[in-house]
Amino acid sequence: MKSAVSREASTPLDTTDSLTPTLRRKRKKGVAGYAFVSGYFVLLILFGVLPAAYAIVLAFTASGGHFTGLTNFIKTGEDFRFLPAFENVGKYLLIWLGSLVVIVLGLALMLHSIARRVSAAFRFIFYLPGALAGAASVLVWLFMLDPTVSPWRLFLGVFGFKNLGQTILPGHLPLIFAIIAFWAGAGGWIVVTYGALNNIPNELIEAAQLDGAGAIQTALRIKLPLIKKWIVFMLILAFAAGTQLFVEPQLVGEASLGLISPTWSPNELAYYFAFQDNNFNYAAAISVDLLVIGLLCAAVLVFRTKLFEVE
Amino acid sequence: MALATFGFVEAASAAKAKKPTITIWVDSTRVPQVKAYEKAHPTVKIAMNIYNGNANGSGTLQSKIALDNRVGNGWPDIVFSEENNDAASLASPQFNYPAVLNKGLVSKKILGGYAAGTLAGCTVNGKVYCLRNDLAMNVLFYNSALMTQFGYTVPTTWQGWQTLGEQVATQHPGYIVGSVGDNWDDDIYLWPSECHVDDVVKTDTIDINAADPNCTRATQLIDPLIKDGAVTTDSVFSSTFGTTYNNKILMMVGPAWYGQYLFPGLVTKGDLAVADPLSWGSGPTVTGEVGGGLWFMSSHVTGATKTLTASILTWLSTSYGSQGISPGYPAYVADETPWIAGQQASGLYSNQIAPVFAKAATEVWSGWSPVPWSTDSVFGSTVVTGLNSGSTMTSQLAGFASQLADFAQSDGYTVVTTP
Repeated sequence: MKSAVSREASTPLDTTDSLTPTLRRKRKKGVAGYAFVSGYFVLLILFGVLPAAYAIVLAFTASGGHFTGLTNFIKTGEDFRFLPAFENVGKYLLIWLGSLVVIVLGLALMLHSIARRVSAAFRFIFYLPGALAGAASVLVWLFMLDPTVSPWRLFLGVFGFKNLGQTILPGHLPLIFAIIAFWAGAGGWIVVTYGALNNIPNELIEAAQLDGAGAIQTALRIKLPLIKKWIVFMLILAFAAGTQLFVEPQLVGEASLGLISPTWSPNELAYYFAFQDNNFNYAAAISVDLLVIGLLCAAVLVFRTKLFEVE
Repeated sequence: MALATFGFVEAASAAKAKKPTITIWVDSTRVPQVKAYEKAHPTVKIAMNIYNGNANGSGTLQSKIALDNRVGNGWPDIVFSEENNDAASLASPQFNYPAVLNKGLVSKKILGGYAAGTLAGCTVNGKVYCLRNDLAMNVLFYNSALMTQFGYTVPTTWQGWQTLGEQVATQHPGYIVGSVGDNWDDDIYLWPSECHVDDVVKTDTIDINAADPNCTRATQLIDPLIKDGAVTTDSVFSSTFGTTYNNKILMMVGPAWYGQYLFPGLVTKGDLAVADPLSWGSGPTVTGEVGGGLWFMSSHVTGATKTLTASILTWLSTSYGSQGISPGYPAYVADETPWIAGQQASGLYSNQIAPVFAKAATEVWSGWSPVPWSTDSVFGSTVVTGLNSGSTMTSQLAGFASQLADFAQSDGYTVVTTP
């Protein structure tokens, strides 16, 4: 607040304008804000809201276009592949979100407490795997997981895996996909969380240290509560992305010449309905299921943690 | 100036109408066949698109056709599919893709030139929707040099195969008599055993019974061999199969195309031999088949282009110029003799393959029907993954059948279980 005031005072004012400087500034600020948001807003409408609305229309209609109520939801819910797909993704999310919170926060807190130069190098290293786009990172992992070509074949051998089929058994998949997701995505979140930690005023941390708080106590009692909203934000986005798991099971399935069910995740099941059974309405119903689940979880987190409240 | 411009546009569009581009989708194995067509017909414009051949239940073709149907254009004019069930799927009202070939597009002479029953999988309610590329019936491949060296005789029955497998496991560990590591192995072991898990008994009614003794007799033979290591659970196309089993495959039941596609590099040239499909001792000998490949033409091709497209389709599937370079045993009878001669001349085989292939081609059991879902894919995600986790083939049968029944029911079939 202080800095804003001082900046305002130092700005040269245009005295020729009939509007008062404050009013003009306000109007300008407003226009600039809209201009900045407009690009995103247009894209959001085109590629976010409209497709979602189209999916909702499809989900409540039959292929002929007439309204069918909840039929599509009931029929897809009764399908033999529906529950297993949601179970698979549920297990994956538990591992992925759990490790995300614990390990990402742990690493970010650690980076924040070590020397700045070393921490920058570490942040860069953590972020690196994220530079590989989704499909490419899965391909890297296909080599890592195949004991016949993997640089980690000794390690895989310890578990008794002798071929790719043994590594990618159905029971191992949630963990494998969580590791891939973590490897590719955690670095970005470590950088974001580190940024959040940097926002904490130094005075607060110094005050805590003066009161006798050690590194761990400062981390748990001062830093964590202050970045709570960032953690919630991370969880909402990671949850939404996680429920949409598609590329990983699809590619691993193709690479193993079909040893994974083509409907492993709900998103794959929706894809199957749309393109194997040519039933876009069923596919839309599953997309809407995912949308509702994502919104509900986000709502719970937002309201429980008062994410949108401005102090 | 304006007139001249219009004249030019008109002439150009007329030339364009005369010379349409025919879009052909094939898997990488079929590329040389399309290239051979282009070479033989330099005036025809071909746009070739390479895709995964719709293999292993990937459903890529269905995905593309569904999208093309949605936007109302973009269909490939000709497409090759490795999935033998595709006529049933693509001709269904959901996709409505392939053109009917036996109503004037392809001559009766050509259709009659196929080996008896080979177009059955292409025929739905009397309409022929595709032409077969090759016959992929299973035969018994063996290494004749190893057989002589070990002093074994080539078995003629599955029971004999198992006994020899047990012998190999104790006398020559490391050598194998088969593999169950791929999702098409149901076609290699369960189909020839007349296992009723894929038998469409009448329209929309399918017989699925994993408890069928015909299914368990096969799996109970194989399970001990897997345990002993005489049958491997490695995929035959895994990256190290070639190095691990180089000249260590004593026998392997597999489709005719294994000969030219899998074995070169695995068996010393001149040591590979083929024998008749194994029998079960009683009843007529039957066998299964793995793929074979189908050529489809789009029903969305119209006007004069129709005749040209049909002629390309016919050339690719029946001419020796195309079939002579295909790794599979041609389904079109006239191509078989020269194809066999070419194979024999390659020096890969130590015995005569013609009588074995010709006989086996007529022995494919008809109780394994084309259905809109991929039986192989279900076998892969249930039985093969089960084997990889240390379970037995026999114990995975129930799960395999129950998932097949789920697929059948969700596609509107009534599932029956014959005792």
